[in-house]
Amino acid sequence: MNENFEPKIIGFLCNWCSYAGADLAGSSRISYPSNVRVIRVPCSGRVNPLFVLRCLIKGADGVLVSGCHINDCHYSEGNYHARRRFAVLKQLLDYLGIDSRRFQMSWVSAAEGDKWAKVVSGMVEEIKKAGPNKQFK
Amino acid sequence: MKIINKSEFLGLMEKWISSPGLIAPVNVAQTFRSADKEKNLIVFKKIETKDEVLADYLNTVKPVKDFFLPPSTVFDYERKDEGYNFNLSEVDGKETIIFGLRPCDAKSITLLDKVFSEDSEYKDSNYAKKREKTVLVGLACTSPDIACFCTSMGISPFSIAGLDALIINFKDSYVINTVTDKGKNLLGSLGKEAGREIDEEIKTLEESVKLKIKKTCNTSKNLESSFESEEYWTKVSNSCLSCGVCTFLCPSCYCFDLSDESAKRIRCWNGCVFLRFALMSSGENPRATKKLRYRHRVFHKFKYFREKFGENLCVGCGRCIRHCPVKIDIAEVVNNA
Amino acid sequence: MIKKLQEEVKKLLAEKKVNMVIGYARAGDAINAIPYFIANPEECGALIWDKTCIYNLTNYLIDMRNKKVGIIVKGCDVRSVVCLIQENQIKKENVIVIGLQCAGVFDKKGAELGAVGRERAAKCKSCNVHTPPLFDILIEDKEMNQKVLQQEDSYKEIREIENKSPEERFDYWKKELSKCIKCYACRQVCPLCYCPVCVADQTMPQWFSRSLSLEGNFAWNTVRAFHLAGRCIDCGECERVCPMGIPLRKINKKLEKEVKELFGHESGVDAEKKPLFSTFSKDDPEEFIK
Repeated sequence: MNENFEPKIIGFLCNWCSYAGADLAGSSRISYPSNVRVIRVPCSGRVNPLFVLRCLIKGADGVLVSGCHINDCHYSEGNYHARRRFAVLKQLLDYLGIDSRRFQMSWVSAAEGDKWAKVVSGMVEEIKKAGPNKQFK
Repeated sequence: MKIINKSEFLGLMEKWISSPGLIAPVNVAQTFRSADKEKNLIVFKKIETKDEVLADYLNTVKPVKDFFLPPSTVFDYERKDEGYNFNLSEVDGKETIIFGLRPCDAKSITLLDKVFSEDSEYKDSNYAKKREKTVLVGLACTSPDIACFCTSMGISPFSIAGLDALIINFKDSYVINTVTDKGKNLLGSLGKEAGREIDEEIKTLEESVKLKIKKTCNTSKNLESSFESEEYWTKVSNSCLSCGVCTFLCPSCYCFDLSDESAKRIRCWNGCVFLRFALMSSGENPRATKKLRYRHRVFHKFKYFREKFGENLCVGCGRCIRHCPVKIDIAEVVNNA
Repeated sequence: MIKKLQEEVKKLLAEKKVNMVIGYARAGDAINAIPYFIANPEECGALIWDKTCIYNLTNYLIDMRNKKVGIIVKGCDVRSVVCLIQENQIKKENVIVIGLQCAGVFDKKGAELGAVGRERAAKCKSCNVHTPPLFDILIEDKEMNQKVLQQEDSYKEIREIENKSPEERFDYWKKELSKCIKCYACRQVCPLCYCPVCVADQTMPQWFSRSLSLEGNFAWNTVRAFHLAGRCIDCGECERVCPMGIPLRKINKKLEKEVKELFGHESGVDAEKKPLFSTFSKDDPEEFIK
């Protein structure tokens, strides 16, 4: 294992909760790995599962989708739809042998800067163990 | 013609596997362990061991054009001040021998040559280089099936058009007919003279195989007169799914699409039966309906190509009929037009 | 059965209840069946119904959505009619469903025409819709009603693949999907792939590579499977038409199994129900979410 391997993780964060939560982690000066490239979306329901697939196929080491907690979606139902879609996507990725550790999902609210840092640290550690994504090279 | 006994020939083929490299039909169905799927999936493959090579089969699923016009070719390019520099990342300049192609597939290569090689204004240097480096050793066809109609397309199951040498399965031996210099260089020294008697028996065998081909295609039909018949073309194309299997498995179809993806230009197979084939950037699609597309396919193969290059763009291999999901029969469509 | 079928179709056309009926006829090779489009009552004599009638004819309904059409379906096929109605692609008033009781059809064996010794299609071995769940007119098969029709476990092969290790799974699919020639026949024959511009054909932006590479082939087959999640009714046409023999049903059936286990969703049984992804439940599983 290359000790210097720094995973490239793409993060789709919902604007109202997770993005704000990540921002709070920054304002609170919480230290956590900087491997997540954040893409702000209005809602986790905006995330097309094909985005995740494309990221993994193009070589991203990990993809993280993060949204509001259930019942707290700014648009009422977006996260319910996301939950359903990504449950199916995870099964499909796993079945086809695409390393499903590389796709993770979380609910992080605007007040949970701590949790955000924990989620990212946990994911980075897991991906470091899994190594760089070479499946589609 | 010369004659050689089978085991001697197969011994020589074994040598070809390592040098210069041999491509021949193999039944890959077993390697995929799909129990209830096709028991036969015969494709051309680079041979690793001599046991893989098939001696008894009808035809491969994918045609031999696969090697000269790959399904997708990637061109890397870099931009310079004077323009673009293309690197054909797929130029495979190695010599190789393709064994076991049927005369219909070999004929299709001569048709593709008219477009991509020879005096064509669009000569594809990659294609031309591969043609030069490849020796085509064909295997005469002795058991055609009900979809074959090569005899209507100007060739026969024992045709030599497009081949460097033709091998004919004859009792326990192979009869070798070397056609070009390349063929003579490769096989000229093999075997012994067959003699007049065997030559005659081969001719008789050829005639008997030709008789097995029942399907005909009336290529001298004047298609022009049916061009306007909406009713006819609607009827024949009603069940068409525009799926593209006929164009992709056709040994002589050559239309392609160019696509740019992050500093790579990709040329991939395309078919006139697809909905978006004729779509223009203005949004206009002159062949937006199935009947227009199917009519175009028939006319391109049996009229336009002949007017431009002197021959029909069809070799009668029958793959389009065998693999069409709804069993549309192009020969019957031409006959009834 | 065939006489009753021809009579019913003749009646429908004569009474002008429909503009056209889509059924099966014998192909020119006298062995296979082909789709047959009938506009006049006199043409009904050419209709056939036997074990060669494997096609799912509902594919043609999308193009005829503004006409009144009669369609001849087996139990497996009619579920795609139900899905199309659920997704507002066709109106039930425009379609008259002539359902056939069916004990199973043949799949092609090998690619050669005229091959003898045809085998029962794999999908028929686990069928539980021998009588179509939706029909306006039912053509019964008296012989079938007397037989006890076995039903195999339809997920046996799926479980075999699930039990492999992730590396083995990836190897398996890498090998199978390397055969793909991106002819898109699977998409064209599927009645539920009706997008005017398929994601694979979009160029602005381009989602996936058009090249025949590990990337391009995996992307295409995965996307198609995902877009059919909760919708695929396992008519098996995609696998039948694939010229390279890729076991596509093994991907689609996996998702069929998952949506049943995760959400209790079965596609194509109830025209009143909503499609899988246009609804949600407060109790959807979320163990995978941190």
